[in-house]
Amino acid sequence: MNVRIFRWLVVAVLLLLVAVPLYWILATSFKTGRQILMSEGVYFPRPFTLENYLYLFEETRFALWLRNSAVTAIASTLISLAIGSAGAYALTRLRFPGRRSFGALVLITYLVPPGLMFIPLYRTFIQIGYTNSLGTLIIAYPTFLVPFVTWLLMGFFRSIPRELEEAALVDGATRLQTLRRIVLPLAAPGLLAAGLFCFTLSWNEFLYALIFIADDNLRTLPVGLSEFVVSDFAFWGQLMAAAALASLPVVLVYIYLHKYMVSGLTAGAVKG
Amino acid sequence: MGQGPVSGAGGGAAGPRQSPLVLARSTDAAPRARGLAWHRVNRVQERLLAYALILPVALLIAGLIAYPFFNAIWLSLTEKMVGYPAHFVGLKNYVTLWDSARFRIVAWNSVVYTVGSIGAKVVIGLAMAAALQKAVRGTQFLRGFLLLPWVIPTVVIALTWRWLLDLYRGLVNVSLLDLGIIKAGFHWLGNPDLAMLSVIIANVWRGFPFFGVSFLAAMQTVPQDLYDAASVDGASAWQQFWRISLPSIKGVVAIVTLLSTIWTLNDFNIVYIMTRGGPGAATHIFATYSYELGIQSQRWGMAMAASMYSLPVIALLIVFVVRYLHRDEVAS
Repeated sequence: MNVRIFRWLVVAVLLLLVAVPLYWILATSFKTGRQILMSEGVYFPRPFTLENYLYLFEETRFALWLRNSAVTAIASTLISLAIGSAGAYALTRLRFPGRRSFGALVLITYLVPPGLMFIPLYRTFIQIGYTNSLGTLIIAYPTFLVPFVTWLLMGFFRSIPRELEEAALVDGATRLQTLRRIVLPLAAPGLLAAGLFCFTLSWNEFLYALIFIADDNLRTLPVGLSEFVVSDFAFWGQLMAAAALASLPVVLVYIYLHKYMVSGLTAGAVKG
Repeated sequence: MGQGPVSGAGGGAAGPRQSPLVLARSTDAAPRARGLAWHRVNRVQERLLAYALILPVALLIAGLIAYPFFNAIWLSLTEKMVGYPAHFVGLKNYVTLWDSARFRIVAWNSVVYTVGSIGAKVVIGLAMAAALQKAVRGTQFLRGFLLLPWVIPTVVIALTWRWLLDLYRGLVNVSLLDLGIIKAGFHWLGNPDLAMLSVIIANVWRGFPFFGVSFLAAMQTVPQDLYDAASVDGASAWQQFWRISLPSIKGVVAIVTLLSTIWTLNDFNIVYIMTRGGPGAATHIFATYSYELGIQSQRWGMAMAASMYSLPVIALLIVFVVRYLHRDEVAS
């Protein structure tokens, strides 16, 4: 078969494969409950309505879930950036006994799947009597964010020429001054990218949020969404509207992050 | 960040690793002299700073990963009855599970789910990389768009596929019926085999873009000369793919496959949302089964033992990945 045709065929199929479910989310979210129930002309919303979106804010706790997700994601991201960037700097720039093993340990912890850790972590939170609070999630998320940030930033720190730092040290700057005036400004794009990755991972996290939180008012978006489905019945219009809104922040972040993802794609940049 | 003792020592002079370039540029001789004098102190200072900086990471790993994990291994060796404290039962939970038909189904399902998902992702990912390899108009945009499934929340993906595969009103059945391809809608999530296929489809949809983009990035580092030479020698595009592209990216294919296996074997979200492990136990996998045993039935020891059965494989894969990535890291 002609190679050009084959190439375009593959691209067309993949585009369709990705586009159709995304279209289905948006199309459903703009349909009336009646149209969905009766399966009338399923391909387009007719009539076009915003009632599902309004319903979310007027009749459900969607706004609350949105707030909980934002608080959790932002707080755990900031904590992880602070802890992870310090660790990454030490691991790339400073010499100390045990450095290599510690680097390997960070990588190992990054690889441990959450599906294996949720019960151990939950038991630990029960032992210390700290479940059912957004704070639980804010300290649980760094268990996967910090190893990730550390690993990612080690790459960025390594790309900053050592000579710049050494020149500053020779001129009498302290290590910390060097860190603050030279390394951090140069690593700023890396920190921003790592922060946005962390935000995305926290925002999308489901398993820990499902298990550690029992209070309805403390649910994050993914858990709130999952509970729209009651036994085999679901309000698909409202649910797809919620799905679209829940995806919006990470899609926006991604539009900005795209160049980092594609150019600096290190193996396992993100779990999945 | 370790402010006190370290910065207090002040005048951090040049360590032994400075490059000749830097020395040549430095016109002020004083810091250099001081550098020699401070050498020993500086070495200690550097270590102190390093330990101070990694302390938070170390505490986090010790307290919230290592401790819970080893505690849970202990837990898997205990049994707890309501009203009594947990007591040690040795390998009893493991033996009970081993003899349980339901658990064997769970283990088998986990393998099917993992192998099926990753096999499809590798094939589709390779097709995607091969198709986008030669610069076509709008590649940048295409790549960006194709990566969207990998960005949006997994919960959204699982719910969307549940809705797409809805028996009566889902787009898949409705459009297949409209096209006259089928006479009656498939019972996607109600039939045991189709249910497994459904969760795999959702997983593949979410994961293939990452595979594709990783493979593509690796393929683009292959020198164009190789392809040119092959063309001159009359190799077809198909042969070039098999003989040049594929061999040069096999390292990346291996690492992406290993990483994905580690996480897919203990995946939770897609199955939990789409089928809750059903119908029956047809799509139950390690993590959803542990959830059922632990969170729903409060049989913590048993739940942990079920998770632990996947550990030998996971540990082995982690060792491979760490050796591979850490070797790269040291080399660079």
